[in-house]
Amino acid sequence: MQLISRKQGSTSIRKIKKIAPALAAASCSLLSVASSDVLARGEAGTWDFEVASLFYSEADDRVMAAEPVFSATKTFEDGEVLNLKAVFDTLTGASPNGATPSAAPQTFTKPSGNGTYDIAAGDAPIDDTFQDTRVALSASWLAPINRDWEYNAAFYGSKEYDYLSIGTSGGFKRYLNNKNTALNFGLSFSFDNIEPEGDIAKPLAKMGFDDASFDVSRDGSSDSKTIIDALFGVTQVINRNTIMQFNYSVSLSDGYLTDPFKILSVIDDTTGGNFVEGGNNVYLYEARPDSRMKHSLYWQTKYALSNGDVIDGSYRFMLDDWGINSHTFDFRYRWQLGSSYLEPHLRYYIQSEADFYKPYITETEYLAGNLQEATADYRLGDLDGMTVGLKYGHKLDNDTEFNMRVEYYLQTSSGDDGFGLLKDQDLYPDTKALIFQVGYSF
Amino acid sequence: MANLTLSPEDNPSQHPTPTLSGNSQLWIGSFQAMASDCEILMEGCNENIASKLLRVAAKETWRIEHKFSRYVAGNIIDQINTSQGQTLEVDAETASLLNFAEQCYQLSEGLFDISSGVLRKIWQFDGSNQIPNSTQIQEVLKKVGWDKVDWKPPLLTLKTDMQLDFGGLGKEYAVDRAVLALCTEIKNQKTSFVVNFGGDLACSGPRLNGTPWTIGVESSERDASSVATVSLSQGAVATSGDSRRYLLKNGTRYSHILNPLTGESIVDAPHAISVAAPNCMQAGMLSTFAMLHGVQAEEFIEAQGLQYWVQR
Repeated sequence: MQLISRKQGSTSIRKIKKIAPALAAASCSLLSVASSDVLARGEAGTWDFEVASLFYSEADDRVMAAEPVFSATKTFEDGEVLNLKAVFDTLTGASPNGATPSAAPQTFTKPSGNGTYDIAAGDAPIDDTFQDTRVALSASWLAPINRDWEYNAAFYGSKEYDYLSIGTSGGFKRYLNNKNTALNFGLSFSFDNIEPEGDIAKPLAKMGFDDASFDVSRDGSSDSKTIIDALFGVTQVINRNTIMQFNYSVSLSDGYLTDPFKILSVIDDTTGGNFVEGGNNVYLYEARPDSRMKHSLYWQTKYALSNGDVIDGSYRFMLDDWGINSHTFDFRYRWQLGSSYLEPHLRYYIQSEADFYKPYITETEYLAGNLQEATADYRLGDLDGMTVGLKYGHKLDNDTEFNMRVEYYLQTSSGDDGFGLLKDQDLYPDTKALIFQVGYSF
Repeated sequence: MANLTLSPEDNPSQHPTPTLSGNSQLWIGSFQAMASDCEILMEGCNENIASKLLRVAAKETWRIEHKFSRYVAGNIIDQINTSQGQTLEVDAETASLLNFAEQCYQLSEGLFDISSGVLRKIWQFDGSNQIPNSTQIQEVLKKVGWDKVDWKPPLLTLKTDMQLDFGGLGKEYAVDRAVLALCTEIKNQKTSFVVNFGGDLACSGPRLNGTPWTIGVESSERDASSVATVSLSQGAVATSGDSRRYLLKNGTRYSHILNPLTGESIVDAPHAISVAAPNCMQAGMLSTFAMLHGVQAEEFIEAQGLQYWVQR
């Protein structure tokens, strides 16, 4: 400290330094910190609401879904965040039952056992008795413990006619390096119970065409599964424009993992047509292993351009003990246009088939009777999916936003083309779907 | 001329409503904040957008004023100054300002110090000849010095009797924040603007016709009617001056700029120094540091390699 007697003079003689560059850096760093008012949404003490409605429609009169969503979020003074959400689903339409198309018309017993439905020669066998309404409710809570730790907890429940799912999850977040790094630890548990009309089918039992044989194929009225998920993630701020996230998660499902509505065709070894026993085509109810362990790795990078646009790219790799592995590439570009934005979206998904996936069962395999597991569900086969979409959002005054999203989804499957008569059938029809969503947040 | 209304939350200090005048050639928005006339000049937009921009600028400025003014009971500055030696955890914005103030303290080798406000208790610039004696000064200096503050972001511990205030940088910060808020609002639209808070100003770029903005700023010459003009086509200009506030004793003019290291008034500083820099914080700090250099003000500012204007 310099103490100068007033008599000597007014100022000491200082050595002059050039400090403008250091000051420029300091001021830029100050101004790069978001002022607390930039995010008016999420301000303490207010509720933010979001309403959205999603419409999903598959081509060829297959599944149609309407899904209104209501979400309310409250941020409290000390940074706790409460979110309550309700989703209502209505599903109608038809879904592939797993059987192969055939050169002859086919008749199937409805999953309920009450009557049959017919599929014309050459058509993909779809079950149009499929209709359901689902209500899902969830609540989540997020709160800081101290300036480095945060915890979260959530509860979830959904109910549809024949299905109940309840779950809970919790986790911790640890901030490091002045909040430039965050470590996430999460654990979730869920319990699902299915009670289909007409009861559960025995694994690989033959579809019955009269009450007596239908009853033989039944195996109790309900079944359940449990799912445990664990997640470890790292979020890292790379620089002013870039943030990166890396997650590893493992999921263990245990119990009844079979789809009670899915069947497989048994194919005649010589003709390639349906194998017939007692005057009826033979179809078997599918059977899946009673446990599944999935590992997935996820990497996401978001990059903000100086003009306010945001590039968001992610990749996920999933591997399970059913022999499936999948890759998901997702890319979005958020293009700011004044108070609106346009966000093109591209997603590509590729998956390999499960070890027990079979588009059909041969007569020999059927008669040998030593199959333990089999499914013809295309969702467990080799498939590629491509989504192309566009989202438009418009920010209105007073912090409300209107948005809409249109997406087109094309899924193509591939595999063994069969033999004989089967060769003329399209065993792997494409799935095409249109997704439309409108939302409003206030 | 139109009066704009803002909600009470957006106008926490209950200032008069902002007014918008002018036409589509040039809109002039005016409001009061931080004891200054605040002006936003805008071109290339319609009246609706101009009103919206003016509202955004006023809201952000008033938010900063209310959050950091040392005259608002209960705000973060008040909490810090009444903390009685207790450790406080501050929010991210306050932390970034404290970090900046700390860097200014280091860069100015202690001349710029946000804990120096208590010196005003003994230096009353009322035009009188009341000069504090050295005993009084030494007593007050015990409560001055950023080096006595325990700042471990985001935890701040201030000794009892010490005070912090952002008066020395708040207006410049508000100018830069207003510019950022307006830029966010404007996005890619072809609108050009200048923010002028009592002579501290910054612009979004040149006027739409490519020429610089010409802004009249009140000169701190003794002749109050004289007006200096500043041409600005990018960045910011800030001015520090003695505001014609001083004490006169035995012919010596004691300016209201105080040296926190000695507790003394700076003598022989120019009346005012204006500096042009990429942003208003930088311009403001350089002009303030220059004034604190007293007789060496010109030598200091010359060494910074930026454009400046000195009024002796």
